[in-house]
Formats: sequence, C-alpha cells, structure tokens
Amino acid sequence: MDLKRRDFLKVVGLGAAGSMLPGCGGETAKLIPYVLPDEEIVPGVANWYASVCRECEAGCGIIVRVMEGRARKIEGNPDHPLNRGKLCALGQASLQGLYNPDRIRGPLQRDGERGEGRFKPIPWEEAMSRWVSALQKHPGGAVLISRPVPGTLAGLFSTFMKEISGTVFFYEPSAERPLRAANRKSFGIDFLPDYDLANTTYLLSFGAPFLSHWLSPVHFGAAYGRMRQGRPEVRGRFVQVEPRLSLTAASADRWVPIRPGTEGLLAVAIGRLILEEGRTNLPRGDRSRFEKFYASFSIDRIANETGVAEEEIVRLAREFYTAASPLAIGGGIASEQTNGTDTLVAINALNLLVGNINRPGGIRFFRPSDFPASSAEVVGEQALLDLKGPSKKASRSVLMLYQANPLYTLPPSTQFRQVFEEADLVVSFSPFLDESTAMADLILPDHFFLESWGDHVTEGIAPAAGLAQPVVIPRYDTRPVGDLFLGAANRFGGGVKERLSWTDYRTMVREQWRDFFDRRQPGQPFEAAWVEALQKGGWWKPEGKPVSISQRGAPSAAEPARFEGSEKEFPFYFYPFPSMGLHYGQGANRPWLQELPDPMTTVVWGSWVEINPKTAQEYGLAERDLVRVISPYGEIEAPVVYFPGNPPDLISVPIGQGHRAYGRYAEGRGVNPLALLAPLIDAPSGALATGATRVRIERTGRKGRPVLVDQTGQGTRRHTEGGEGEA
Amino acid sequence: MVEYRDQNAPPGGPYQWGMVIDLDRCTGCEACVVACKAENNIRIAGEDEAAQGRAVYWIRIERYWEGEYPNAQLKFMPVLCQHCGNAPCEPVCPVYASYHTPDGLNAQVYNRCVGVRYCGNNCPYTVRYFNWFEPHWDEPLNEQLNPDVTVRSVGVMEKCTFCVQRIRGAQQTAQKEGRRVKDGEVTPACVQSCPTEALVFGDRNDPESRVSKLAESDRGFGLLEELGTKPAITYLKRIK
Repeated sequence: MDLKRRDFLKVVGLGAAGSMLPGCGGETAKLIPYVLPDEEIVPGVANWYASVCRECEAGCGIIVRVMEGRARKIEGNPDHPLNRGKLCALGQASLQGLYNPDRIRGPLQRDGERGEGRFKPIPWEEAMSRWVSALQKHPGGAVLISRPVPGTLAGLFSTFMKEISGTVFFYEPSAERPLRAANRKSFGIDFLPDYDLANTTYLLSFGAPFLSHWLSPVHFGAAYGRMRQGRPEVRGRFVQVEPRLSLTAASADRWVPIRPGTEGLLAVAIGRLILEEGRTNLPRGDRSRFEKFYASFSIDRIANETGVAEEEIVRLAREFYTAASPLAIGGGIASEQTNGTDTLVAINALNLLVGNINRPGGIRFFRPSDFPASSAEVVGEQALLDLKGPSKKASRSVLMLYQANPLYTLPPSTQFRQVFEEADLVVSFSPFLDESTAMADLILPDHFFLESWGDHVTEGIAPAAGLAQPVVIPRYDTRPVGDLFLGAANRFGGGVKERLSWTDYRTMVREQWRDFFDRRQPGQPFEAAWVEALQKGGWWKPEGKPVSISQRGAPSAAEPARFEGSEKEFPFYFYPFPSMGLHYGQGANRPWLQELPDPMTTVVWGSWVEINPKTAQEYGLAERDLVRVISPYGEIEAPVVYFPGNPPDLISVPIGQGHRAYGRYAEGRGVNPLALLAPLIDAPSGALATGATRVRIERTGRKGRPVLVDQTGQGTRRHTEGGEGEA
Repeated sequence: MVEYRDQNAPPGGPYQWGMVIDLDRCTGCEACVVACKAENNIRIAGEDEAAQGRAVYWIRIERYWEGEYPNAQLKFMPVLCQHCGNAPCEPVCPVYASYHTPDGLNAQVYNRCVGVRYCGNNCPYTVRYFNWFEPHWDEPLNEQLNPDVTVRSVGVMEKCTFCVQRIRGAQQTAQKEGRRVKDGEVTPACVQSCPTEALVFGDRNDPESRVSKLAESDRGFGLLEELGTKPAITYLKRIK
C-alpha cells in the first residue's frame, strides 16, 4: 500500500505547482490519516495530516496542508492541548527545513582530514557495517549525544546504549536544567509543572523569557493573551524583573531593572516581607525553616546589592501578596548564572509562601502521561564536559550525534572539540551539515521530521502524547534514525537484538501505542484507536486532578553570582540571548527566519551588538560602527545597534549567527557570541552559566553593514519623546 | 451613485471584511510574519536586497522605543494593509489595478498593474511593495509554494490581501450550502497563527461577529485615522 501511494505521489508530484485562480479548488478535506488508500487524493485538493512540530523542545501539535504530495503550509493543531491551533515563527518556517536546498541527500563518509568538512558518498550497506563494527570494537566506549526526544525514540536510544554498555546524553541548551533542579528542591517533583498564566492576576517574572523561548512559548503566549484580555472583569498585571529589557519585558506593565545575578536576593527580600507582614498561609512547621533562612538578610542591604530601590521592593512584595492569584516565575538571564538554581529556589519560595500551588493561576503539577517509552533525563553542559575529564570517556570512543550541535552551542573555552579529536569514530545522524556534523567521519542522515514516524510526550501541561506521521514521501536517500538503530541492533546480535527486535521504527511506534492503549482501554480494538490517534494528532485527556506536593523547600543559599573577568579590565556584563527567529542557531538555515526582522532592533540577515546609547557615545561609537567585544576567552566583531533597554554596563549580542557550517544561508554570516564565554557552571544543575562572563569593548574605526528593516528607529523615538505616544 | 448589485451576494446582504488588532495582547513574537510569508508565496529578498529596503513583508511588526534607561519602553504594533474604505492608493492607479471589492477588500490585480508605483507613494501606511526583480527560490524551496496564490513577477506592486484565497474559498462553500460564512470560519494566515489571539478577523456587517463586538471597545482607534482613510482594521490601545 505504501509503495502504491508513493508511486502515485511521484506521478502527481511531477506537475509543477501551477498557480490556480483563488478559490477554484474544492473544499478542504477533513484530517485524514496516512493509512487511507490513494483514491482519497485528488490533485488540487488539500489533505491535512496531523503531526508534531520538532523545531524546538516544546512539541506543539501541527496539521500540515499537503497538495500533490508536497507540504505547502503548517498550522497549529486546534485539538492539541499545548498550543490549541497556534504556532510560532519557527514552526511556520519548518517547511524550509524540509525543502532546504542544503539537506544531506544520502550517506557520506569523510574525504580528507577530520574537520575539513569534505565528504564523499558511501553506500548505506557499507556505512552501516562501518558504524556497527566500530561499536563492536569498542564495547562500552560508545557515546550518543542526542537532542531530547521524549517518547518512543528516547526509549530506543536508552535501551540500545544500555545494552551495548554505552552512554546516552540527552542535551539541549534550552532545556531549562536549573528550573528542573530548583523544582526538585522546592517541591520534590521531577517533572515540569504547568504555570497557569491564563488565570493569574499578578505575574512577577524574574527574567523568564516566556514570550520568546521558555519551555513552551506558544502555550504561554496563548495563556498570556487570556491573562490580559480573556476575562471580562480582570486584566492580569505583569511585572518583569531583569537587567536587560527583553522581548518579554517589553510586554510588561512595569520593567524593574536589576543587577545581573542578584535576582535571587530580590526574591529573598520579597519573601522576607511576606513573612514579616504575616501574609503567608504556610503551615507552622514549614514556616520556621523559611523564617530561619530569611532572618540573616536585611532589606536595605539587598536594595544596595540589587540596585532595586527599597520602596520598589516593598511595592513588589505588597502587590504580590495582596493579589488574588499571584504567580512568580524565573528563567532566562536570572537562571543562566553560577547561582541559577538557588535563584529559582528563592523564586519558588514566593509561590510556597502565598500558597498558589495547584490553585488556578498558580503552579499546577500534572503527572505526565504513562506513555511506555519514558523520557530520559536531560543533562546539563557539565555532563558533556566530563567526557574529557578524568574518566577519559572520550578517548578511543565511538561518538554519535543526533541533532545536537555541541561544537556550536558549547563555548570553545570548554575545549569540547577534544572529545571529537580523541574519538575513534564520529557518526552523525543529522539531516543538515552543521558544525558538529562537519567533524564526523560518517554521516547517516535521518529524514526530516515531516517525513518520519514518531511521537512526543509533553510534560507540564495536561498529559499529552503527540503522534507524528510522515506527511510527504522522503525526498532523498535518507533513513529514519529509528530504523538505523534497530538495524544496528539486529547486526549487533545478542541482548540488544532481543530487546529491540522490531523490523522497523514505524512498527515499534505502533507497538508502543498498542501497549499504551491496551493499558488505557483494555479490550478495545487497537486499529480504530490508532487511526483516531493519527487523525487527531495523538492522545490527550482533559485536565485531570493535579498531584499534591510533599515537599516545601525553603531557600538554602543566596550566594552572589560569580563572574569571570575582573571588573577593572572588563567593565561590562555580557549577555548572549537566543534570538527570536534563530533561537540557539538551529533556525539560521531557514531564509524566512534570516529575513525575519528582530522585533527589538529590526535587524535581518546578520549579527549586531546591543549597547546603551549613552555608553556607546562615551566610547565614540555611532550606530552601525563595527565594535570589538573582548572577553578573557575570545573576541568578536559586529556592528553596534543602540539599545535603550540595556543598562550602561551591559552588552548583549543575539545567539544564532556565526555558523562555520550549516548551509548557504547560515555560513559565514555574523558572529557567535558563545565564543566569548567562560566555562562557568551552575553547580546544582550542571548547566552552563551563559550570563557569567565579563567583557570590554574597543572601537575598530570601521563601519559595519547591519541591515535594519526599520530605518526610522531614531525617528520614532524623537516623535514620542516627552509625550504619550499612541497605542 | 449607481448601486452595484453583486449577483453572488450572500443572503442577508454583502460581507464587509475587517480585522481587530488588540495591542494589549500582541507580544511582538512575529509568528504572523512567517505565517504570511508561507501562505502567500512572498519572495525571499536576501541580504543585499533587504539592505536596499526591498524585503517584502505584507505584515510587519512596528516597534516604538520610548524614554531612556531605566525608563525605556518598547511598544509593538502589527501593520498590514488597512483595506481602507477610502483608500489613497485606489484613485491614483492609472489602470485600475488597485480597486475596492464589494465586500470591502482593497484588491490588487496583478495582471493589470504596470508598475507606476503611485499607489505605494500615496499609501500612508507604507504597506505596498514593488517587485524590483523576478522572484527566485533556490530549488527545492519552490516546492512549498501555495498553488492557490499567484507568484508575483517583476514590475508589479503587491501587498496584504487579507488572504483573499481563503476568503473566496469559504464564500464559495457557504454559497453552495445557501448560507452566510460563519463567524470564525475564515481566518487569514496571520490570524490563524497568532498565539495570543491579538488578531481577530471577520464580517463587520454582522453585528454579532467577534470583530464587530471588539471594534466597539473604548480602546479602539484607527491607524492615522485623522487622514480619513476609513481603515478596515481597528486597533485596540495597549493598557499601560
């Protein structure tokens, strides 16, 4: 059946996408699953397939409009509880990943020295046997670094690596490790909660970039809209505390600037005031632990250290404890410091003090679905760096990469490149030739996610398991990574073959879902449930009862954050932030995202350095001048853009550009600010402290050429000076 | 004035398509911008053309900085064709390429357009874009193109259409079933994607539609409404 459909699609696909007069097509068909026969496909009529977006770690449900065997448009899946029909810029642009001209079109082997980036084709059979024999040669010396793939694939990777005595690391720079570590300390809970923004009346956010890239931005965007204007009588208020005015802070009612790394102290001060004024409903037993910790702090000293005025602190505390449904969240620059986890524990404490746990508008804990293939724990950067530590795991190993790009996302100061250099064999399964894949000896390219079977289990929101199906036939000579690992298990023989005996990954996914449904609805016919799940895009149920928490952890430390570089020599704080379109660099090969104006500066197709206008003028820097940013570990050059949202002593640069590989749209464009970072870690979570490096700046005397779509930035500022602008 | 009678007018009088943009919900996330590019086959300009101001955005997010640190504020405003009831772009077109449809859309007829660019000159919202070059997609990016939408060639003006291809599709479906288009049945790509639901689309001739109700808000205003363009988009002021 598959074959027949494929041949059919190839035939229709030959016709070029002719332009039709608007509206000449018939109605759009209902969502239909992949398993229906070809007769259902009519040229000129769209079919919609439900799947899961994999452009970030959130896993929103999507529906894909397919005509003549080509994916034309992606929309959010209206049924999926996470995003309810909505989608972000990255998800919209994922079609340019599928149809990217620089996709890897078949298996490749290194041609020349490792890291030169020259490759020549290799037959699949030969590539597989090279990979598997290397694994057999190094029992116990295999390492797989994969992006988080919660669902069947995580189970497959974990089982495979365990059976061959290797190690798997699920790693992603945006995985919010400090938040997980802090929630374990505060609530004794291992999974992510749901932050019920929609019903909050007062949101106090410490740097959490929930409107751009925090946990699940589309979910929080939808909740934010409802918080503001979704209730007839209540408009939720929102205050953002952070050093730099971020995209999220721009939407706040009030932005409270604060010295970097002292967000936790401010939370401590607010907590102390809540207790002092007797506005907590904590049980007496718990209360004493909080009182004991807060006792050693004084508000005026904290005001001094944070740079937030005492009356502002008192105001924040009063606003917070008098609100009907207050909620405090933290993330972004607040958590990306050497004291990130402690800071978030101090922020969590505010929620415990006002008792908003499992209440509308507060923090709610929903147990993740009991989907059989559980998600494996996501590690921080420290775990990867330990590979080249005393254990010497890296030397003579087989290093495998699945859609992780550590050579781009880890600063060079961590010397992670060593891990690549010491490995016997480097294998990448990425569909794109990114920096890490360019260092591989063997490339066994995976399908793009829109060509693959799969599933994605979400946590935090009401339990949901998204189901992904291929929406188009694979374009190139690529193979699903699941099939590769099952094939390798088969060649390997022994225990791993027994544990992973499925013929192909699609069958494995189906069987996992069969188990899942059998436990949920014993005695129900599976086929009908499976087709329904394909049509709907997965399985979820209405919000159940939240899980009560057993632990109410008081903060235990409020150490100031450490910074690398002396204040005298490096007078500026430095903050590299994930850019709106390119995130941590994965969006850089999509022209739509390159041409997406940065919402704050309107720059396209390049990098820029954000400097407070007054500071820039002190240095004699005009807008567009090339400036050199220097840290103890490296330097970058990029054009200046005046940024009124930066304090005088902070320089910020967006992450995402500066690729040395990754295709024609990304290569040789702009700079990667991660190159400046010191290898400082937030110890409890093992996450890299990206906000912990200090820098200095130098004039280069040359002009850069940043492309700003809005040439009138200065002009609009002039219009509104001293007056209330419209809107 | 001659009364225009639409042979295909729906029961209950013509439609009047309009939009409401709630600035209290908009967060500047730009999902709408990419959604629009994907739906409407908008060309990729590339760095050099973009540097000359030739990148095309049928919808864009305007940003306004106010004040200085520590009181700096940033406000976002989605701007697209306002589909004016009294459109400055229409009377100046020598070939009637820019004209007003009976259901209140400002239409751009590409194969009439001869590229004099007076409409772009006259538009106070600067939402009209001229094609200085033949559009180009690196293969196979062109396989994503939406077959319901014309690819505009060199020498013509283009702009937001409120996703007219979707509107016409919904109208035909409704007409076949002998009814009016239901509220919410048709959404332009930007509206469909917007996570915060800042954008709402519908029929202003239906007093019960969401747009009609929202547009009556005390916060409502028209962009540069003092020019008398009668925009079909009502903005709702951000509360500060």
